[in-house]
Amino acid sequence: MIRVVRLLILAVACLALTAALAASIWAIAGNPSPVNLPQLLSENLDRSGVEHPVTAVLLNFRSYDTLLEIGVLVIAGIAGISMAKTASLEDPELRTSDALLYALQRWFIPLMLVLAGYLLWAGADRPGGAFQAGAVLAATGVLMRLGGVPMEFLRPGLLLRLGLALGFMVFLLVAVASAIGGDAFLAYPPGMAKILIVVIESVLTLSIAMVLLALFVSAPVNDAEDPEEGSPS
Amino acid sequence: MTLWLMAGLLFTPLAWAVLTLLTDFSRGRLVSWVGILVQALVSLGLWLAVNRDGGFYYGLGGWDAPLGIELRVDGLAVTFVLLTAVVAGACGLHAGVYIDPDKPWHRYFWPLFWFLWSGLNAVWLGGDLFNLYVGLELISLSAVGLVALGGQAGALRASLRYLLAALLGSLAYLLGVALMYGQFGTLSIAGVATWLSDHPVPAGSGMALALMIAGLALKTALFPLHRWLPPAHGIAKSPVSALLSALVVKASFYIAARLWLELGQPLGSLAAAQLIGLLGSAAVVWGSWLACRQQRLKQVVAYSSVAQIGYLFLLFPLTFSVSETVSLQAQQGMTLQVISHALAKAAMFLAAGNLILSVGSNRIDALGGVSRFLPFSLFSFGLAGVSLMSLPPTGGFAAKWLLLQASLGSGQWWWVLVLLAGGLLSAAYVFRIYRASFLESSGTDQFFHPSRSLEVIPMILAILALGMGLVSDQVLSVMALPFAGEGAP
Repeated sequence: MIRVVRLLILAVACLALTAALAASIWAIAGNPSPVNLPQLLSENLDRSGVEHPVTAVLLNFRSYDTLLEIGVLVIAGIAGISMAKTASLEDPELRTSDALLYALQRWFIPLMLVLAGYLLWAGADRPGGAFQAGAVLAATGVLMRLGGVPMEFLRPGLLLRLGLALGFMVFLLVAVASAIGGDAFLAYPPGMAKILIVVIESVLTLSIAMVLLALFVSAPVNDAEDPEEGSPS
Repeated sequence: MTLWLMAGLLFTPLAWAVLTLLTDFSRGRLVSWVGILVQALVSLGLWLAVNRDGGFYYGLGGWDAPLGIELRVDGLAVTFVLLTAVVAGACGLHAGVYIDPDKPWHRYFWPLFWFLWSGLNAVWLGGDLFNLYVGLELISLSAVGLVALGGQAGALRASLRYLLAALLGSLAYLLGVALMYGQFGTLSIAGVATWLSDHPVPAGSGMALALMIAGLALKTALFPLHRWLPPAHGIAKSPVSALLSALVVKASFYIAARLWLELGQPLGSLAAAQLIGLLGSAAVVWGSWLACRQQRLKQVVAYSSVAQIGYLFLLFPLTFSVSETVSLQAQQGMTLQVISHALAKAAMFLAAGNLILSVGSNRIDALGGVSRFLPFSLFSFGLAGVSLMSLPPTGGFAAKWLLLQASLGSGQWWWVLVLLAGGLLSAAYVFRIYRASFLESSGTDQFFHPSRSLEVIPMILAILALGMGLVSDQVLSVMALPFAGEGAP
């Protein structure tokens, strides 16, 4: 009885919130916004060094947000590997020895690497960029890991930590280099925007992939004996 | 010069996070000491610069708002930057000695610590709604990582709960930001405030503010959304608890306060202001009452944080539809309460850590005899308690005095009762710990004596909290400084 009442109250609260949100969005959609940011963006696009507005916002106009977001990713990676319980991450029990998977892998991995490279490059003038390319790269790593390809660099050692931080480090160095030159923090020197953005995007791709992969590979191994549902214990 | 200081302020914590990620704990400690020194000097330099020339907007990447992100470097922001340098620096120095360097996972303490610091600075200076969200994420995730460090089952449970509460709060805030952007087409707080000041309020914009403040209240652990805080702050290592209670909860409150002061008058309502004040009062009474009933030392301090946060939320009713003088008094009271609570609570958690280290137990009844054999640690704990009880001449007293004047000045006498009740209840839980420390059982000194450097740090913080009441005028004068770019974007 109490459960039903609680559920009802929750349902009413959710409905009320949704209704309030809908009413507010309805009211907002009726009025044009006083500042036309997309137009301002397209006016400044040719000064940004890239042709695609999303990449321009992420890596030039609002690059401070992106820098800090990469920091958030690094934090997530650090928190993940700080909780890894096992010293050896290459637990043979976690490997599959599926012949089909192994055969497919030899086709897929090179393809996926090429795709990641393409996504990275496409970011300059169409949807794409470091985040998408990094995700594909990480997926490649997950596939390799499941297929049992040894990945020594993913042990919690210096190499892993260097990889996690590489993209962030390069981005930060670029940011401070302009400040030392007497300009604002994160301001690219004129004419250098394109090349700097490409360099930053490339190292970011590596680091983003590394963070995602580290979180997958270093996921804490459960030591407790918890039989799966339905299996005999 | 100011440009260099700004770059140093933003760069140092991030760079040190990377540097310490590449080393182990002991080497990270040496590196961090240098970093703390640099960061403290830069913060002090910026504070002096703003004190001399007034505040300014700092456009990142050379782009101005609304296209780019602008930082708002004003008196209040640099005061909190300096406060962060003092408190986080002290916690860092304490942690360097307190935390066991031989456990392999402790090497991740320093990078998380530096990321936390950079997130705090990002929030104090942020003038852009979405950038503030990113700053909050930096803070929340590194705080969760710090609580979970070591990964025992209890710590994991508390940190997961903390993570879920923090994420829910962030998402509510983000939803509010999205609505705000849809309505005004800009993410700059100053831009929105300027537009609102010479246009009628458009329909549907109260919802955005309500969502943002609700999310931030959850992250600040305002009653009744406080239940995640005591387990997380209680189970973390003492220097981490000190950081969380002293600074992390203040960051989300600071954003809520900034939003309210800029947008509350046009978008808020009297009922909402009174409701938030009421919840704050409930937090003061309920948090203090629960603090009196805890059996473990750090839980007492954690519940006391719930109570002290409650006072901050009195800012909302005391600045809504009141005269300029009352509003200014309330703002000054809030600022002093943030500063003195940060100093006192950091001192209290660090001292509590020392006491737990000495007696080898986190229970209050294990403290018997401490007053005779470890008077120094107990003294800094008590001295911090004096500021929480808001006895003169502490910063806590000055803060509550200003809030009291603001309540009477605006005719909202009911908040005075809360201020009095809170003071009495906090005396009760501080004296309860004192009482336990006097009850000797064996009469011999069986305690572990922590090193002198561990004991000195909370003492300095407690003395600063105590002296804050004496220099409150100088501290508050920075807030009233002229602001170069007022209303510019």
